[in-house]
Amino acid sequence: MTAPRRGLPYLAEIIVALVLIASPFVLPSIGGTPDTLSRILIWGLFGLGFDLIFGFTGLLSFGQSVFYGSGGFIASYLLVSHTIPNVFLALVIGLIGAALIGLVVGVLALRRSGIYFAMITVAFGEMFFFLENSVLYPFTGGENGLPNVPKPSLGWPGFQISFADPWAMYGLLAVIFLIGFIIARRIVASPFGHVLTAIRDNPMRARAVGHDIQRYKLTVFVIAAAYAGLAGGLEGTLQGYMSPEAFTFDTSGQLVMQTVIGGAGTLLGPLVGGALWLYLRNELQSALSLGAAWKLVLGLVFVILIMFLRRGIVGGVADLWHLVRPTRAPTAVAVSAAPAEAQVTAHRPPPHSEKIAIETRGLGKRYGGIVANENVDFVVHEGEIRGLIGPNGAGKSTFFKMLTGEIAPTTGQVFMAGEETTGLDVTAVCQRGVAKSYQINQLFSKLTVRRNLMISALSRARGSYKPDMLRNVDRLAELNADIDETMRLLNLTARADVPVSQLAYGEKRRLEIGLALGTDPKILLLDEPLAGMSPQERADTVQLIKHLAVGRTVVVVEHDMDALFGMADRVTVLAQGRVLTEGTPAEVQNSAAVQDAYLGGVHA
Amino acid sequence: MSDTENPRAGISRRAMLLGTAGAAAGAMLPLALPSWALADDPALGTFPAGQAGDSVFVGIDMPLTGTYAAAGADEQKGIELAIEHLNNGDDLIKAISTKTTKGVLGKKVVSGAADEAAKPDLAVQNATKFIQDNKASVLIGSVSSGTAVALNHFAQDQKVIYLPGISGSNDTTGKDCTRYSFRACFYAYMASAAVGPVLLDKLGKTRKAAYLTPDYTYGHTVFDSMTKFTEAGGWTTVTNQLFPLGATDYSAYALNIANSGADTLVVIGFGNDAVNSIKQAKQFGLLDKMTLVVPYMSPYLVQQVGQDLMAGVYAGLDFYWDIGDKFPLAKQFVDKFEAKYGYKPEWGAEAGYMQIALWADAVETAGTFYPPKVIAAYESGKKYADSLVGPVEWRAADHQLIRPVIVVQGKKASDMKSKDDYYSVVEIVPGDKLLPDPTAFGCNLGSPT
Amino acid sequence: MLNWGNFVSQLFNGLVSGALLALISAGLTIVYGTLGVLNLAHGALFMLGGYAGFVAFQATGSFPIAVVVGALFVAIVGILIERVIVRYFYSRPEEDQILVTFGIGIVIVEIVRYFFGSLSQTVQAPTVVSPIINLGFVIYPEYRLVAFAIVVVALAALYLLLYRTRIGMVVRAGIEDSQMVDMLGINVQRIFMAVFGIGAMAAGFAGIINAPIISITPNVGDDILIQCFVVVVIGGVGSFAGAIVGGLIAGEIMSLTSMFNPQLSQVMLYAVMTLVLIARPQGLFGTR
Repeated sequence: MTAPRRGLPYLAEIIVALVLIASPFVLPSIGGTPDTLSRILIWGLFGLGFDLIFGFTGLLSFGQSVFYGSGGFIASYLLVSHTIPNVFLALVIGLIGAALIGLVVGVLALRRSGIYFAMITVAFGEMFFFLENSVLYPFTGGENGLPNVPKPSLGWPGFQISFADPWAMYGLLAVIFLIGFIIARRIVASPFGHVLTAIRDNPMRARAVGHDIQRYKLTVFVIAAAYAGLAGGLEGTLQGYMSPEAFTFDTSGQLVMQTVIGGAGTLLGPLVGGALWLYLRNELQSALSLGAAWKLVLGLVFVILIMFLRRGIVGGVADLWHLVRPTRAPTAVAVSAAPAEAQVTAHRPPPHSEKIAIETRGLGKRYGGIVANENVDFVVHEGEIRGLIGPNGAGKSTFFKMLTGEIAPTTGQVFMAGEETTGLDVTAVCQRGVAKSYQINQLFSKLTVRRNLMISALSRARGSYKPDMLRNVDRLAELNADIDETMRLLNLTARADVPVSQLAYGEKRRLEIGLALGTDPKILLLDEPLAGMSPQERADTVQLIKHLAVGRTVVVVEHDMDALFGMADRVTVLAQGRVLTEGTPAEVQNSAAVQDAYLGGVHA
Repeated sequence: MSDTENPRAGISRRAMLLGTAGAAAGAMLPLALPSWALADDPALGTFPAGQAGDSVFVGIDMPLTGTYAAAGADEQKGIELAIEHLNNGDDLIKAISTKTTKGVLGKKVVSGAADEAAKPDLAVQNATKFIQDNKASVLIGSVSSGTAVALNHFAQDQKVIYLPGISGSNDTTGKDCTRYSFRACFYAYMASAAVGPVLLDKLGKTRKAAYLTPDYTYGHTVFDSMTKFTEAGGWTTVTNQLFPLGATDYSAYALNIANSGADTLVVIGFGNDAVNSIKQAKQFGLLDKMTLVVPYMSPYLVQQVGQDLMAGVYAGLDFYWDIGDKFPLAKQFVDKFEAKYGYKPEWGAEAGYMQIALWADAVETAGTFYPPKVIAAYESGKKYADSLVGPVEWRAADHQLIRPVIVVQGKKASDMKSKDDYYSVVEIVPGDKLLPDPTAFGCNLGSPT
Repeated sequence: MLNWGNFVSQLFNGLVSGALLALISAGLTIVYGTLGVLNLAHGALFMLGGYAGFVAFQATGSFPIAVVVGALFVAIVGILIERVIVRYFYSRPEEDQILVTFGIGIVIVEIVRYFFGSLSQTVQAPTVVSPIINLGFVIYPEYRLVAFAIVVVALAALYLLLYRTRIGMVVRAGIEDSQMVDMLGINVQRIFMAVFGIGAMAAGFAGIINAPIISITPNVGDDILIQCFVVVVIGGVGSFAGAIVGGLIAGEIMSLTSMFNPQLSQVMLYAVMTLVLIARPQGLFGTR
């Protein structure tokens, strides 16, 4: 879902609605009973939430059974104990309960990411299963579960619609799924949703451009828990019985497998995967009399799909669709770096400002016995372009990381635009108007150029966190205008909808700068922006940097001395972690000490 | 007028029909009315659609995979043998279901099986399919009480009779009893009531018992029942080691028991849990200084554990192949089963056979498949002169079959006269003394309609 | 009030069961540390070792042969898995690796179930070992002691392999920086294959050693895998010492908790894991 949507808006929602309406007429002929279809919808709903955290945010949780079971048992217990007579109300309370549990579990589990996170979710799943089966069994019925869960009904005294009829229940579930689907689609299309895809793609860079990714992760985790809790409650009322199976690892595992088989990151993957799973389980058992071996077959299908069709069925179909469709993205080869205006501006007015943009006092960093930086006093005035050079191992990268907040200094202080930022993390520092472009590209590789820049623009426009899940990002005119402007500056407008993987190296480097630029920083740090570029590209990029420096403060680390001396107002030289000297490019060029540092002591 | 003929019937038509017509019919239909006073029995559950053709469907919901698969397969064979006998008019089944000629009420009996892997929601799913697709006239099968309980309530909801096969928990005819389900096998309370006095008699009144109990309701019910009977006779319960269902390493619990001063070990686990408990109890020397008691013994236990460990063990069973000299029908059953399947039946097979035979009799007695009348036949208090376990009768108050419990003791390997000669029968305790008060476990039968 | 005799025996028992867990977890953590792959099929490999040994035992009646066959068979399976499947996942996202090993685990379990059914199987302990031994403070099955000794030897052998041989040094370097190892001209591919095989072998070896103690079923590895996770989280992912210490801690937690409340002995493991996650997320020996 990274390509921009063309054609009918809400096309997917309409198609899903039509399929849901048509199913009761079409599917029974191939064995689709209302009970089976209802269960598929419940798995689909369960999977909507899971796809949001896994397909879109990259959080692989093997513990969603915790929320499915909790929501299911809370709702079922309330109904069975006659505490709450109304099924819909009980379902809502179950949903809220599951979301709250999701909050607690999320706070603990999200302290780690990747594999650790997956392991922790497994363990939480087991813990809840034990709790529900033994300690809490007066409420959950232990391994017997809770029977006699009533069917929902709507209405007022004198007129009641009961959903006891299996097809009526299917209809209700179809409506609930459709609503859940529409909401999930909106979340995905929202600014919030776009930040999620950035987190999945390159969480480090998402933080560096100013997003508080922990809060985003927690929010979407809670949302997934809510979907799971509602699905669990619906299973209870569909079956008339809440089963302890809801809490098992099998349930979590089945959800993961169905989502991957159907296609993660598509929202419909879990529904398709669930349909396939349930259908195959019935068919393999009865038609082919494979008996117990049905699970073996499904396991093999799963492994093969992961190996060869990673995007699953829906993803594979979508890829096929794009292959077949004529491409609209222009296949123009890399365009020159020089922005239009920069060609006009040959030089920029020299900086006059007295105000200090960047200041460090006695900044130092130790790693055990190794000194990376020591006692660095560094002052840059507003509007200046400062070069930072030094031989390998001089401590330039470490110093830069302390400026951006990626590393906390061991000694000393950092001030940005007059405010102390010592010890603040990279997101906070970025929100204060500092941004860095990386020596090795840190792009959001699965997104297009436009979407990449959008991530930066979103942090500027919305701060480090904003749960604006129902807005549509395409409708934010000002935001999109800003992105267009940035692309124009970087001369990437023609490549706006091209995925990063198809860009030429020079274009990627420009985009790399663009990500930093997109946050509209007052202070721009560029780490070897010219690395790997051809001479022409270098010249163009230098022009670009000079253009960008208007109204900003820029610090550039570079090894290409000619280029650097051609654009910097002043140059600081680091050696062995300390400031060696500082001055105009000419002064530095002629400094014996600098030559010594680079060449090792041999000079004329 | 079933909803499946018109799948797009409006949201509430079936519900309203069932709700109003059913209530009206139920209110107006005391079951003692003579048949001339009735018009056709109204549609209820899968009646009469399930009997519209010349066959009726029996839905077998059984664990075919997972830890209980072996017991499930055995139980299924017993059920299928009974169905075969019904269709052929075999003498054995006619000895129990006396009105049977061929089939049930002239209809051939067909069946289908689905795997529930001891998971209650799969059991419910399968049962739903049996009802929606096959219009099953009756549902049967279980090994774990979790699935039995789930299906009890499902059956009540769907108005289709359900017959658990193996179900050991008190709850199945206790707080989870329903008007639409009937249990023929023995269970925790009955086992304890039978085994307890035998233990008091054979082992004395001042024993110190340690319990190894799986931590779920079946385990708790057996523990509660056993301690009730043994403590009343003078025993002390020195420790109750609760282990999580499915645990594999019992070393910690075994050590606790070894250090508890007990002289009797009661193993309550079922299936694999029992196998592991007993093997590891042996490893830790518990069986050398304690007598082992298995009040509710799962099928295939001795085959998995080995005769050596079971020598001298007191256990409770629903059925044992060697009771043929006391119950001639049992001998017939064992012979016919062994002839068809090549091995002697475990007690699940007998439980399944009995349930089918008794169901066929109830339907024949009622003269119709209309569930409330079949239920009335079950509840009529009829005494069966003979069955696979001798005289039995249904108790209307909680739908439990009053039947004996077989208390056995494991033989020493050297005393076995054939490869299946695992046990000597200590006592066949008649059922009338073994049942609790019907309300003791909170049974509240629902409505037949 | 506290039964000291029981306490001592539980302490001892925790050591023994913890050692086994340590060996299995060491295999898991070595593979993760070197290859960066969390092998969710690790529990299935444990189970496979038990079954392979069982088959060998049925055929030969010799327990030592069963152990060798069990361990080697699983080592080969591990190498095959690495060569045929896992190798292609190193450059793919972490989640994909987890997913594919998860799938492989399920396939292995179901294949075993297909051939052997779901009933449990028994492997007899070697008869040369007497059933029970009286250690004075506890009466203990002698085979468990033998198993403990074997496991300790295996762990020591693993330690020597990792820390005292050239191959081990390369593996540890690979844990730190596999790119660099590659650039030094060392055949990283072969190292990875060997490491995966060693990790799998540890699990398979533990599986057959453990088979006389507990009966084996196709699902016997499921719980073990989750317990390994707990061990590895407590000890620190990628740390050999962490696996050992974590395993012993886990074994003691389960044994000692059972003295006070047998119901909670497993849940207590997860509670401790949660505490570790809150207080020291990288585990006892892990690095951030």
